[in-house]
Amino acid sequence: MNLHRRSFFCGLGASLGAVAASQLLADDESRFAGPLAAKPPMLPARAKNVIMLFMEGGPGHMDTFDPKPELTRLHKEESKLAFGQETGFKFFVGSPFSFRQVSDTGLQMCDQWKHLADPYVADELCNYRGCQAESLNHPEALFHMNTGSRLGGDPAIGAWATYGLGTENQNLPGYVVMTELALPQGGSTNWSSGFLPPHFQGTRLRPTGSPLLDLASQPHKSRAHQRRALDELAWLNGQHLERVGSDDTLAARMESYELAFRMQAEVPGVIDLSQETPHTQAMYGLDAPETETFGRQCLMARRLVEQGVRFVQIFSGGWDSHDYLERGHTARIQSVDKPVAALIRDLKQRGMLDDTLVIWTGEFGRTPDNNKRGGVYSLGRGHNNKAMTMLLAGGGVKPGVVGMTDELGASAVECVHPIRDLHVTLLHLLGLDDNKLTYFHGGRFKQLSQFGGEVIHELLA
Amino acid sequence: MGESVPGTKQCRAWCFLGLPLLLTVAAGARASDDVEREFSVAVLPLLEQKCLACHGADAADLKGAFSIRDREHLLLGGESGEPAIVPGDAQQGTLLAAVRWDGLEMPPKENDRLTAEQVAAVERWVVAGAPWPDEATQARYRDEAMQQAVTTEGIRVTTSGGTSEAWTNRRYQPDDVWAFAPVQGLSAEQQRQLLEGIDVAAGSRRESAVVDALIETRLHAAGIVGGGRADARSLIRRATFDLHGLPPTPEDVEAFVAASQRDPQAAWNDLLDRLLASPRYGERWGRHWLDVTRYADTGGMSNDYERSNMWRYRDYVIRAFNDDKPYDQFVVEQLAGDELADQSVRQRTDGSDTEVERVQQSGEYLPQEAEWIVATGFLRLGPWDNAMVEKEEARQIWLDDLVNITGQAFLSTTMRCVKCHDHKFDPIPTRDYYRIYAAFSTTQMAERQVPFLPQENRDGFESGRSHAQRMLDFAVAEKNRLVEKRESAARSWFEERGLPYQDEAARKNLDDDAKPPRNVGLDHVDEGQLKVREQDEWIWTRQLERYEPMAQSVYNAASFELAWNGARKLRIKRAKNSGEPPVCHILVGGGLTARGDVVQPGVLSAVPARLASTEADPFLLTEEISGRRLGLARWIADANNPLATRSIVNRIWQGHFGVGIAANANNFGGKGAKPTHPQLLDFLTADFVAHGWSIKRLHRIIMNTAAYQRASLPPADEAWKAVDPDNRLLSHFPKRRLSAEEIRDGILQITGELQERPGGLPIMPEINMEVALEPRMIQFSLAPAYQPSRTPHERNARSIYAYRVRGQADPFCELFNLPNPNESCELREAAAVTPQVFTLLNSDQMTDRSIAFALRLERELSEPAAQIDRAFQLAFGRQATDAERRRLLAYRAEMADYHREVTPEPVVFPTAITRSLVEEFSGQVFEYQEILPVFEDYVPDLKAADVAPQTRALADVCLLLLNTNEFLYLN
Repeated sequence: MNLHRRSFFCGLGASLGAVAASQLLADDESRFAGPLAAKPPMLPARAKNVIMLFMEGGPGHMDTFDPKPELTRLHKEESKLAFGQETGFKFFVGSPFSFRQVSDTGLQMCDQWKHLADPYVADELCNYRGCQAESLNHPEALFHMNTGSRLGGDPAIGAWATYGLGTENQNLPGYVVMTELALPQGGSTNWSSGFLPPHFQGTRLRPTGSPLLDLASQPHKSRAHQRRALDELAWLNGQHLERVGSDDTLAARMESYELAFRMQAEVPGVIDLSQETPHTQAMYGLDAPETETFGRQCLMARRLVEQGVRFVQIFSGGWDSHDYLERGHTARIQSVDKPVAALIRDLKQRGMLDDTLVIWTGEFGRTPDNNKRGGVYSLGRGHNNKAMTMLLAGGGVKPGVVGMTDELGASAVECVHPIRDLHVTLLHLLGLDDNKLTYFHGGRFKQLSQFGGEVIHELLA
Repeated sequence: MGESVPGTKQCRAWCFLGLPLLLTVAAGARASDDVEREFSVAVLPLLEQKCLACHGADAADLKGAFSIRDREHLLLGGESGEPAIVPGDAQQGTLLAAVRWDGLEMPPKENDRLTAEQVAAVERWVVAGAPWPDEATQARYRDEAMQQAVTTEGIRVTTSGGTSEAWTNRRYQPDDVWAFAPVQGLSAEQQRQLLEGIDVAAGSRRESAVVDALIETRLHAAGIVGGGRADARSLIRRATFDLHGLPPTPEDVEAFVAASQRDPQAAWNDLLDRLLASPRYGERWGRHWLDVTRYADTGGMSNDYERSNMWRYRDYVIRAFNDDKPYDQFVVEQLAGDELADQSVRQRTDGSDTEVERVQQSGEYLPQEAEWIVATGFLRLGPWDNAMVEKEEARQIWLDDLVNITGQAFLSTTMRCVKCHDHKFDPIPTRDYYRIYAAFSTTQMAERQVPFLPQENRDGFESGRSHAQRMLDFAVAEKNRLVEKRESAARSWFEERGLPYQDEAARKNLDDDAKPPRNVGLDHVDEGQLKVREQDEWIWTRQLERYEPMAQSVYNAASFELAWNGARKLRIKRAKNSGEPPVCHILVGGGLTARGDVVQPGVLSAVPARLASTEADPFLLTEEISGRRLGLARWIADANNPLATRSIVNRIWQGHFGVGIAANANNFGGKGAKPTHPQLLDFLTADFVAHGWSIKRLHRIIMNTAAYQRASLPPADEAWKAVDPDNRLLSHFPKRRLSAEEIRDGILQITGELQERPGGLPIMPEINMEVALEPRMIQFSLAPAYQPSRTPHERNARSIYAYRVRGQADPFCELFNLPNPNESCELREAAAVTPQVFTLLNSDQMTDRSIAFALRLERELSEPAAQIDRAFQLAFGRQATDAERRRLLAYRAEMADYHREVTPEPVVFPTAITRSLVEEFSGQVFEYQEILPVFEDYVPDLKAADVAPQTRALADVCLLLLNTNEFLYLN
């Protein structure tokens, strides 16, 4: 198995290497389709693409989509709930926000959600309240949600998806990751290809500077200069190939220079948001400082999916409200509300929502109570690995509310599933069977769910 | 505390390994009791193992309304209404279709799927009429089968016992447990027979000839003729990259080519002598070991704390390879060096525990003792942090990690699955997992006082300390400014109410309305900044520890104490009444509270290496607090331990040929790749153990084979493509792409920039500046920006010395498959992915190298044609061809015209940056300044703006050469 991983072009047709290098470069690209070539799904697929919006830090479910009036009643009263990390005197924290129902399907939102609450958008949303993370701290929970393993190092869900389905546009990466400002805890381990071949690694589209690392030539080298260099390099490599004999690996590497050259031309166009109408830009909130960053990335996500990128992931930081919950969540919600709503609306209007699955989630939920900080009733919440909240839309998901947490929001109590079942469900929507989407490594066939899981049928349309 | 061992002892079955095992009997012709026997022994247990959980275990919850409990239910089938079996007909019935994965796919997981042999057994049973004898008859057949050491189901392997009798008594195909069998060296007579008719060339090694004979046997059987010897230029390049990770210099190449013309064998031996004697050797081969052990300078997870002076372990490994430290010692020192040091202290003092513990605190160690303690850095290499993790669980995570890495690194065995259940494929019961776990259960993490060794390089301590101090002073000043702002607002608050001022600590326990709000006087920007500065304060305080004589190590104690932020500071801290060592249990399913049987410290019971110490059960270790790890280590480093000895020999082979004789270097189990040349592996292993566990000797044997010296050009007749497309039979030498370090280090040598460094503090190479300065979350805050070392002398040393931060990889090295240090890496990836092109063509680092390369050529030679020739010699170890020289001269002239029209911008390094971050308590973005003092008097590498157009044109040529397949792939 490992042998094939190391030189993936072995066995792609023995005659390939015999073709002279110059001809080969001009040849039909499909011969070089390689590991990222689009593949048919294993099962009837409901979604072709995924946009995963990751709220790093863990949004409070009772402060976003899962109202807990009982908490408001108990506000600042002593809590005897046993949660792992907070110690000493603890008290309940009522949500600072009021809630209302926003759709006929029963969806509830706190009053900070203004755009997402629009029925045109809200009618598409599924709020799932039954998922349970296992870890109590950020990197472990981030790794778990992103890779299926708390330890980090296994392939990310986007890597599995591109491994299973390839990607539609060979001139763009198949799995793109954007971060709002800072890298999340654990960094690139969150979008690693793990033990899968490196082609399935998430590629960061950077918020500032060069969108892909070193995508652009040095400023003193023009595109024509680059072209000349590539021609010269192809000639040198061709001479070498004649001496060492046919070799698919070497030929493939030569082709990767041409692919890079095409990407250099294509990527700037895809990420150039000025091609969008002012109306669209405003819809995503590009005209206001609080929504500009995330709005830009949501709009980019739509453009990337439109161009055939399989899996897009955006990280929004700062949801870890241990204190000053009202301030923190108000600002965070404000920064994503308009962009997320615009994304759903835009996808829907363009007929893309049917086969694009959008997921909004954190790595865990938050506790109904808190402890004092510096001797003060700090109005915030700890980490909760027993209850959380997430939104899903499009891609074969049934709108409405699925699952339930207890009256304090301490734990999920209905349609309760671990993260692995969520993963199995996401793959299922993409037409992939987690039990069959395996890779032999470390002595066994490994899979995203680690040891298997079950589809959460309640989420499916 | 004794341990009860279930099951009875059987005699070991290894002696039967060579027997042919498969009985093939035509279906239909089988006597009926044969069918019933196979059903009882093989088919029914298989159905129970693979199907029962969903189809019969719980009569109230049958998946698909289908049960396999008895024949009647199988005849009936499930909800589809079709029968599951039709006796006598293998083409009908849903059962066979399902297990063949034909339409239905059962069991549904790839991992549980039946093998072809298992499907065939079920078929035979169905075809024979699907007899189902009564339970007494079944039991009789199974009892009879148990008495036999070898049956069609395979051999028995005796272990300490599984959690079920079925597991304890299960059988293995000999091929699947090959690695547990004793190593079978070749007798003198067998070697003589192998070498019959073969001349061992003068100066060559007889052992190498034996290796070649064994390889030839397989090639011959496959009808493949091995290729001829590579030319001298390829050979010196291959050997130098292999042993040093660097290209040979042009002078070395020419000398070797000339010497080879006189006497190839002598030239080759001289070359190996020279390469193996150079310190560059340890820098290359140490890296292989650090891949396996997961070396990094930080602890990863949420805080990614620096592990101060982890480099001492890195240098220990490099020294061990350079000194050819016998591998058995190397094993023992890494697993139990601290125990060796304790023993040594005991011998040279009054021998009391008090004295041993006093020295542990004071660090008054002799150099040999210090070296031993440094070696145990091995036990501290896994990613670990206890932030927000329960104390007991945090400890479990570490102990599990120790069991796993010990299994992978030394025994080529995967242990992770055995944490929760008996091994699915290998003869390792979960009991053995927890025996090894118990062997580590008195081990405690600590950063220990250990004097620096004379051979440890302490260059850069002064400048490093003053840099850290400068960063610390800045953080503290900024913090104090904000605290002052807050306290002055607090003062006003108290004044306005006519109350006496109380400082933050004093007012902590006042009621909320009797004191100012927590961050009074601070807006969200101040609040965010205060958190950053407080975090920075202790990050830099901690970094000052780098300059103390400290080593990441362990010590033994009955119990442990761990603060909530324990990973920040781990010192030796013995509980007052530490008392008895912990009682260890099997943790059923891996849960801390699911306590099963009590276990004693011990080792793997399926391995035919016994511990001399205990007679009742030769696989148990001492129950004293100290001595457990030493016992474990000595068992691993025992000449009779077939896993450990084969493991290292296989790794060395892999280092030379790209793939091991067994292709999964971390997994010799039933699901790992089987050895292609088992006899060869055993021959080398026996030789290795018999000759002092010398790795350098093993290199010489391997590199003196014809197989190693073959050309990489495949044999002209293409027979190999059909028979051996992966070239596992080694008809030609496997090409390989250079590793990340070989690319970076090799280029630095070619450009003349590579700096020799005798180890010491980690260097900070220049990495992509966007990555260096980009914000990166750690617990509570952002990690400080990456600042490269100030001078080229400090930063352009070999990559093994580079600072490895788990949360921030050097993007260049990461692209070229530097492994993630969270997992043990058994084999580097080498796939070509497009972003590699961007880096190799466009990055600042490669641009700098190409300019340095051009400047070197201009410095050494003035004629353009000669410069091109020299460039080829440096990069490829050969002359340019006429066509290449002509073409590149023309290209250079053309580029010179281009560059005369372009004026590059000078590069400016920032001395401070503004960072922005979402502040969690406000949800708003705030900014702050971070200083980058390194860039105040930075000595940059020369940039495009610093050199003439002519030089830039030559640099364009140089950049092309460094992008070629010829440079990046080794023949």
